[in-house]
Amino acid sequence: MPRLSTSLLAILVGVSAPGAALAAQEPPTPQQTAGARTEAKASPLVSTEWLEKNLDAKGLRIVEVSVEPGVFERGHIPGAQNVVWHTDLVETVSRDIASREKFTALARRLGIDKDTTVVLYGDNNNWFAAWGAWVLAQYGLVDNVKLLDGGRKKWEAEKRPLDTRSAEVAASSFAAPAPSPAFRARFADVLAVAKRERDEQILDIRSPDEFSGKVIAPPGVQELAIRAGHIPGSVNVPWAKAVNPDGTLKSPAELKTLYAAAGIDGSKPIITSCRIGERSSHSWFVLSRVLGYPVRNYDGSWTEYGNAVGVPVVNLAGTVWGGK
Amino acid sequence: MSGPVAERSPPLPRRPALALPTGRELVRRVAPPGIALGLVGAALWLSGEPGGSRLALSLTFGALFGVVLQRSRFCFYCQWRDFLVAGDPRGLLGILAALAAGLAGYAVVLGAWMPDPGGTRLPPDAHIGPVGPVLLLAGAVFGAGMAISGSCISAHLYRLGEGSPTAPFALVGTGLGFVLGFATWNPLYLVSVADAPVIWLPRHLGYAGYLGLALAVLAFLAWPLMKRLPDPVAPNLCRGSDPLRALFSGRWPVWLGGLAVGAIGTLAYLRVGPLGVTAEIGGRARQAAGAAGLLPARLEGLDTFRGCATAIREAVLTPNGLFVAGLVLASFVAALASGQFQPARPRSGHAIRGLLGGLLLGWGAMTGLGCSVGTLLSGIMAGALSGWVFGVAMFAGAGGTLWLGRRTGLLT
Repeated sequence: MPRLSTSLLAILVGVSAPGAALAAQEPPTPQQTAGARTEAKASPLVSTEWLEKNLDAKGLRIVEVSVEPGVFERGHIPGAQNVVWHTDLVETVSRDIASREKFTALARRLGIDKDTTVVLYGDNNNWFAAWGAWVLAQYGLVDNVKLLDGGRKKWEAEKRPLDTRSAEVAASSFAAPAPSPAFRARFADVLAVAKRERDEQILDIRSPDEFSGKVIAPPGVQELAIRAGHIPGSVNVPWAKAVNPDGTLKSPAELKTLYAAAGIDGSKPIITSCRIGERSSHSWFVLSRVLGYPVRNYDGSWTEYGNAVGVPVVNLAGTVWGGK
Repeated sequence: MSGPVAERSPPLPRRPALALPTGRELVRRVAPPGIALGLVGAALWLSGEPGGSRLALSLTFGALFGVVLQRSRFCFYCQWRDFLVAGDPRGLLGILAALAAGLAGYAVVLGAWMPDPGGTRLPPDAHIGPVGPVLLLAGAVFGAGMAISGSCISAHLYRLGEGSPTAPFALVGTGLGFVLGFATWNPLYLVSVADAPVIWLPRHLGYAGYLGLALAVLAFLAWPLMKRLPDPVAPNLCRGSDPLRALFSGRWPVWLGGLAVGAIGTLAYLRVGPLGVTAEIGGRARQAAGAAGLLPARLEGLDTFRGCATAIREAVLTPNGLFVAGLVLASFVAALASGQFQPARPRSGHAIRGLLGGLLLGWGAMTGLGCSVGTLLSGIMAGALSGWVFGVAMFAGAGGTLWLGRRTGLLT
């Protein structure tokens, strides 16, 4: 019996050991190199390596925008602050991005000013982080806003340090301008393209089955539109095709080829669209910030267009809503 | 091998000198380290998989929780009954110890995560539920289910590892009770739950204020219990000089188990999520009921509440599923190693009480968005008023049912 017990005790202690693995890690020392500074200046992306070296850099704010609740609190990039996409960046009663007042208060709390370098990252391949970048862009925070290439997934996979304490930053005195319409397409814009009244391209980044109309929403997601299919004239490149298996974005050359195959080469204005406008901000970021194409994101997306009365729709699959 | 699970320490096994161990003895020697090694191996394998560290930790915390529950007989109903029937307050003091330790732990964690509790935000995935008449009803029905089936859901899980003849029926009944709960959810939601306020006490009192008040309430509850403590006898821990024997034979005092529960609750919240044992049962019940066409087309507002979420599982391995698996297996290991694995052939009484009590447990846990662990323990620790309300209703329901059952001769 005692021998048995010894092994059991040893095992129980062993079982608890993995929990300690992430507990104590030294914060990295800031080594801001000239090369690193260039990387942040030139590209809309920063690498995990660069970020770890520049965690304490002046004028840098790191912001996590994740989908799953609790991931930020249980371990985030040291110094990062949390933004909750479905309350902080939107109006919760009407369907809109955060109002000017609300955004001003948020940016001040995060210590973000016009010249602050903001690194956004999150789970799900930076899905909502890119959406955050799109909201920030409308309030004039464009060139200084970067995505962490690979997002949370890559940072964690490389076993870089995480922190559970909340950062304390000095508030800024940012005052949001009126939101710029340059990054956002509205229903009327999309309808004009659908009716061929305007020569623009619509990039639909949903799955092929949603695009063809076989399904109205991805598996497990509520059907919020009562028509299936897509906006006439749009082309389909699922958003995740822009991402490597490790979560990083493909190279600009690869991205150019990917979108050129669908006829999108930046020669015409582009509108990105999906179901609710969040996944399409990822493609918006890729096309506008990485490739430099003229792009607006249509956040109304299929849940607005697919519910509109009297608009042209392409429904390749012939799915009838509510039909048996 | 029938009869109730041993609650006193069995005599220490004597090792026959130079005699070959019997088959059963061999199993008792080989199985515990074997299963424990398997658990460790599974946790290590999971932690190596991409995104698997959360799963590995869930399994680990579940296993630790199972050992603690089994070793200290941390069973809400048994302790409540010990007090009501035998006048022994030690078990209830153990539950209060768990709450006190967890309250302090959560305050430390929450203070770091949300330095200002005053805003409109709630701490992430903490079990803070709506408070209203439906919660009271859920707690009381859950309590009745405890009295009829002999324990709450978490205790049935650890007793499954002890070979209890009632636990399998109670857990099947719990699954059915969840389906019943889904069927009655929509009317209850529309009539009452939708308007019930979600009250997080630290928002109104601050962390220190809530911690101080909650500890004062626990002290107030503990005071009369302390006066009824039996005369001190040599506790199990001091028997003999071998600390391993103290760990693996007899039972731990409940207060010790309670402190461990508070610690595990805090650590689990810090790393994975609040303790809870019904999310997986509820989620799988919802999946099965959906497949069988027994589910309402839409469960109004259910997925917007915190608690033991019953979202339909897509993955085979989920954190809560591994937590429950770890709990049952580790309890089995602990029971086997301490000679408390005493399987009994179920009789019809076990089946009827298990199924009926389980049905009430399941309905109460679904409607109350968790059980004695998810809503009561994790809720109170996180500062949810819903935890306190559920707790009061649960103990009242269990006590009332026990009283009624003893008067009618149906319960002992």
